[in-house]
Order: sequence, then structure tokens, then C-alpha cells
Amino acid sequence: MTTALAPPPPGAAAIRTTFTALAAREMRRLIANPVFLAAAVLTAYALWTGQRITVTEIDSVNPFPAIFLGGFGMIATFWLTRSMRASEPVTSVTPVTLSARTAALCAVATVPFACGCLALLAFLQLHPVGDPVYGAFSHPARIAILAGQILVPALGGPLLGVALGRWMRFPGAALVMFLVLFGWVNLVTALSISHPDSAPVAAARLFAPFAFFTCTGGTSHLTTWRGSPWFFIGWQLALCVIAVLVALLRGAAGQARARIIHALGIMLVTAVIMLVLAATGGFMHAVTA
Amino acid sequence: MNASISLREVGRTFGATRALADVDLDLKPGVTGLLGPNGAGKTTLLRLLATALLPTQGRLSVLGLDPEVPAECTRIRRQLGYLPQEVGFPRGFTAFAFVDYIALLKEWTQPPARHAEVRRVLGLVGLSGLGAKRIRAMSGGQRRRVALAQALLGSPPVLILDEPATGVDPEQRVTLRTVLAEIARTSIVVLSTHQTEDVAALCERVVVLDRGRVRYDGLVTDLVAQAAGRVWLADEPDPTASVSWRTGTGRYRNVSAHVRDAAEHVEPSLEDAYLLLRGGSPEYEPSQEVTS
Repeated sequence: MTTALAPPPPGAAAIRTTFTALAAREMRRLIANPVFLAAAVLTAYALWTGQRITVTEIDSVNPFPAIFLGGFGMIATFWLTRSMRASEPVTSVTPVTLSARTAALCAVATVPFACGCLALLAFLQLHPVGDPVYGAFSHPARIAILAGQILVPALGGPLLGVALGRWMRFPGAALVMFLVLFGWVNLVTALSISHPDSAPVAAARLFAPFAFFTCTGGTSHLTTWRGSPWFFIGWQLALCVIAVLVALLRGAAGQARARIIHALGIMLVTAVIMLVLAATGGFMHAVTA
Repeated sequence: MNASISLREVGRTFGATRALADVDLDLKPGVTGLLGPNGAGKTTLLRLLATALLPTQGRLSVLGLDPEVPAECTRIRRQLGYLPQEVGFPRGFTAFAFVDYIALLKEWTQPPARHAEVRRVLGLVGLSGLGAKRIRAMSGGQRRRVALAQALLGSPPVLILDEPATGVDPEQRVTLRTVLAEIARTSIVVLSTHQTEDVAALCERVVVLDRGRVRYDGLVTDLVAQAAGRVWLADEPDPTASVSWRTGTGRYRNVSAHVRDAAEHVEPSLEDAYLLLRGGSPEYEPSQEVTS
């Protein structure tokens, strides 16, 4: 019988090194995940086909990165999180805590986020911010809209997938969540088309992890809706942090649990403030050009 | 570092069910076998030793560390190998990938050393050539050996094995005994099993649990000696025997709580001694079943 080659490194340094190595391992697993691969390919395909058609409003092409990188990314990270559940009797007695493993899973969201960055750059190449398809918004606000519609969903969707994977037993929970969010965004968008000046409808439209800010509504005129894209990003980022905290809450005990719950309370208040500011900021009425 | 495990009046309850009560044990390097009927509390005891559970009563110390203190619990886990009764495997993982993943969780962060260690433990359980095979495509015995391989990572000072030989073929069981005997030179090995022959072949010490309490704690040879003169062969089942069964030769093996004179006595086995200790009552007691 041979002996072990080297003892594992002890202490805090080991925790950091292990976390980095574990996050890298989980990223490789995500990249090899067929759902995520499909998401990346479909995003690229949607952007490629977007340059070949005449775009009259930006919203006809920019939801695809959110659907694929955010929605499919959520399903992929949900699967990734749940995949080790059966091995919990073994993994739960290793030096790496459940919280550390959850944090490593959250770190994999940087992969779809990086894909989102590439998608945003490609999008700006195809549809420069000076194009009239962005509606009445200023150039910085147009960048904010794209960041809120491409970048943040690519980060938030996968984080939500990790949180669902940690808490939900139902194997189809991520798919159900995807359909619910998709349905809700479509519902409130339809309401916004029929009631473009309504403040409650604007609030409902922004009460989602993804929102449209312009629409042609079947006419040749482009309508720019109410709402502040900058504060909407604040709301989205608050939701991302809430997803991470909810995921980390699973398995946390003692002081760590108390700290997470405290942070969760702060982020919930922040999210509400951001939503209110997003709904009350920006244009006070729909602008049609 | 204190190379021992100590339990003082340790108990564990699950709601209203008492799984363990007043367990006092001191475990040193060597192999200790854990025997007992279903629901006796063996798995609960092993989960306590593996820090998967905390005691609800008494004090547990592993290698001089308290598992109830988070930092000390982590230190224990760095020196622990644990094979649970049931291990599920993630879909799509090969044997190598699974053990490698667990090695990473055991802080083997340097890939060359980790991969070499994974290959070493897969070799110990006789899976050298099957590292690239998907676990889902493996037999039950092979899966069990994959699960065992992860427990052997780093030759841990404390090795907790819950029914390690389940589904493993006789040749591999012999190999397993050799591996565990080697590890037990320096490590505390505790294994739970229903196979008394494994305990007899491997363990110096045996602990018998019944209804959450320790019924026997001592040398295997001493337990077997208690059955001397109480086991005999006969052509018919003896009505005075506590247990009797027909053997492969067609004769009946009788085990009695009382020494029987003028009979064809045979060498008692650990199983005979265990049955005697249990009052000659091998029957299952579902009311005491604890699955948590």
C-alpha cells in the first residue's frame, strides 16, 4: 500500500485557495453544461441575425441575451447547484462549508456575465447608441438601458438559479420560475402598450428583473415609456444581492446566519427604494416620436 | 494532537425518538467494529463521529477537538474520512471526477498532487482501470468502492465507515480488509456492519449497540469466548436452544444461553456470540427503527 503524497494545506490560506479552485471547477462544469452552451450559441445567433434585419425599435432584439444568458443560465446554475445534492452526506463533512460551496457556485455567474459583456459590445457595434431605435433617451441612459437589459440579467439569472437550487426540492423549479418571469414581463409589457401613461402600470412593468423602456406598439411611431433606467439597474442589482444572500442563508448557522438575515433586510429596503425611484424617475409621461 | 475519540454519556434524540443514550466510549488507533440490529443506533453513532450530527446530550471529543465549536469542527473534518451508508452520485460524473471533486473539498488544491492521490485511492479499492467510467454505468459494488475511495483520501487519522462491504464481492472484501488493516496501524477506524465475519476477520475490538445503548464493548476474542460450550451440532433442532438453524451439511447448529454438556460442541463464531448477547433473538424490532 502506498501512502498519501502530500497533506492538505491548513488554515485560512487553504480556505481561500480551495474556494478559488472550487469556483474554477464549478465554472468548468457550467461551461460544459448543455443548457448553458445552448444559451451562449443562441445569444450569438440572435445577435448575428439581428444585424440582418431592419430594426425599428431596440426592444425587438435586445431581450434575447436576457432570455438565453439570464433565463437559460438560471436553469443551468439550478441544475449545477442541485447536482451535488445526492452526495450531501459526503460533501457535508468536508472542511469546505455549505456556505463556501454556495459562494463558489455564485462565482460561476461571472461566466454568463462575461458573455453578457461580449453581447453588449456586439450589440453596440450593430446598433450604436446614436441610432433613433433607442427612443427619446439620452446617450448615457441608452447605455443604462442596455446594461439593464443585457448585462444584469446575465448575472442575476444564474444567481437566482443558485438560490433556487439551494432551497427548492422540485426539479423543475427553475423552469417554472423562467416561465413565470417570462409571462409576467409579457403581461406588464402588454399593459404598458395599452396604458403608456399609467403610473401603476409603469410600476408593475418595472417590478420585474427585466423591463422594456420603448415600444412601437404596432405603429410607425416609437414610444418611450416612463421610468428611470439608472434606478432600474439599482433595483436589478439589489435583486442580485438578495439572490446571493438567500442562497448563502441555506446551511448558515449562528452569527453568520444572523449577519445574512441582517444584510437581507437592508437589501430588501434598498430594493424597494430603488424600485420606487425607478418608477417615479425618468420621463413623467410617455414620449412618442 | 490527541489521537483518540472520546464519548461521555453521549445521547442523540430525533424529536421524541431516542436514537442513542448514555454512550461512553474511548476509541484509539485500530479497527473497531460496530454491531447491532437495525435501528440500534449504529448509523447515528457514526454520523456523530463524522460530525454530520451533533449530540443532544453528553460530550464528544474527536482528536481532542470539540465538534460543536465551528473552527474545531473544521479541523476535525480535515482529518476525517467518512463513508455514509448511502451515497448518491451526480449525473455524468466519472469515478475519477467524483473522487477528484471530493478531494478538492478536502483542500487538495494542487492538481498534480490531487490527481496522484485520487489515482492512489482508486487503486486501493481496485478501480485503477475504471477511473474514466461513468459512475451511473457501474455496478453496485463498484459504486460502493468509489464511495469508499473518497473516504480514503489522504489516509485520514479518523476513518468512519458505515457498512463499507455492502455489495462488494468476496475478493474485494479481502482486499478491503487488507487496506483497512494497514490504515488502522496509525488511524482510528470505526466500521459498522451486519457482517459478523468482517468484524471477526478485521477488528480487535467490537462494540455492540442495542436500542441506542452499548450492550458490549471489548475484544472480539472475549465476546467469542463467552459462547464457548454453548454451540453444538445435532441432527434435530434442540428445543432448549435459543436459536437453531439447518446448516449446509443438513445438521442443525444450536446456540443456547446455557452451557450444554454431552453434545457435539463446535467452535463458536462471532455470530453465535452476537446472537447470544442479543438474547438469542435475531428478530427485527421495527418499533425501534431510526432512520435519521
